[in-house]
Amino acid sequence: MISVADLIQDSRVPGNYFEYRSYVRGELEMGLLENRRGDRLLAVPDTLIAALYEGLAKETGQAARLVLFNCGKWWGKSFYSRFVEWLTEYYGMPVADMEMQLFGLCLQECWRTHGWGRFELDIAHQEQGFLVVKTRNSPYAKPLPKMHRPSCHLEAGVLASFFSRLSGRELTAVQIACESMGADRNEFVLGLPERLKPAVAGVEEGLDREAIWARLLA
Amino acid sequence: MNRQLQELIARAEERFLADGDLKVLESYVASIPDRLETYRILRDRELTMVQAVADELSPSLPGVAEADLKKALQGLLLVLRYCAMGILTDDEGLLKQQLLGWLEQVSGPEAKKVNEVVYKLFNQQVRQHLNETQMNLLQPFLTTAQVTLIY
Repeated sequence: MISVADLIQDSRVPGNYFEYRSYVRGELEMGLLENRRGDRLLAVPDTLIAALYEGLAKETGQAARLVLFNCGKWWGKSFYSRFVEWLTEYYGMPVADMEMQLFGLCLQECWRTHGWGRFELDIAHQEQGFLVVKTRNSPYAKPLPKMHRPSCHLEAGVLASFFSRLSGRELTAVQIACESMGADRNEFVLGLPERLKPAVAGVEEGLDREAIWARLLA
Repeated sequence: MNRQLQELIARAEERFLADGDLKVLESYVASIPDRLETYRILRDRELTMVQAVADELSPSLPGVAEADLKKALQGLLLVLRYCAMGILTDDEGLLKQQLLGWLEQVSGPEAKKVNEVVYKLFNQQVRQHLNETQMNLLQPFLTTAQVTLIY
């Protein structure tokens, strides 16, 4: 016997936590944009991201990639904690008890509502030890000039850190397709660093995503 | 609020409202008593109606896991709440844009069979509580939900 009253939490029925109109709030007279929990949101202009890229490249040269990747890792670490906290509180259950489908959808909606583009989690290669994330309209690819190698290092760092904490294993992320190279999407492969070595080498050699996948699955 | 009215309000600095625009507003204002009454009924009888659906649901779908039935009922509660708010504000976009896409994805294609029974039972329930005018206000919202979640 199902009790409908038990499906309602304090008169609330949880739906889409990141639904734009419920999620983005603010006290505009105070100059504050906030999310539904009162955490501050910022609208970052493309030009700021472009300026960060340029400044870092000028000051650190090739190390800029690593700096951005590590910045992404720091961001991903706290992003994961907050994300889990939000979902646990809103859906009234620990993330470990949540269906993977719901968790993935929340992540997708979170990405979209924050203006980070479209996010897709592809688990087709999970059995081989790879998770794939595809993003479109990424704000981290758009400010880049036409590139010859995948260049969303910040995004790669966020994903590596987020999924490491989710899986409890130290994963890394390698980007194998990039909108800044004219691809229709950014594609990141996540997995154990040892397993992803062929992908890292493939990117260095300038191989395309199909060739890199062929090496990974060989 | 009704998107047409929202758009008219947002254009305040452009022009005064024409008679035709005011007719839209008048028609909405005239419908408010019925909208309020329908909203109150849906709000006050939410539990009664959905519990009645829940009670008939398990015997109608004996092979389906209770977790899947609960998920469908939770979806129905959300739909009902968005329908009620949509009726009050004459805004069908609220249900379509803010809820149905999400519900469709979160439920998955296998939920369609359960939803078919859920909405059949809910339609029977709601007809016992609403008169014809109130039903006419609810029906477009309910049809939209059914089209998305069943077909």
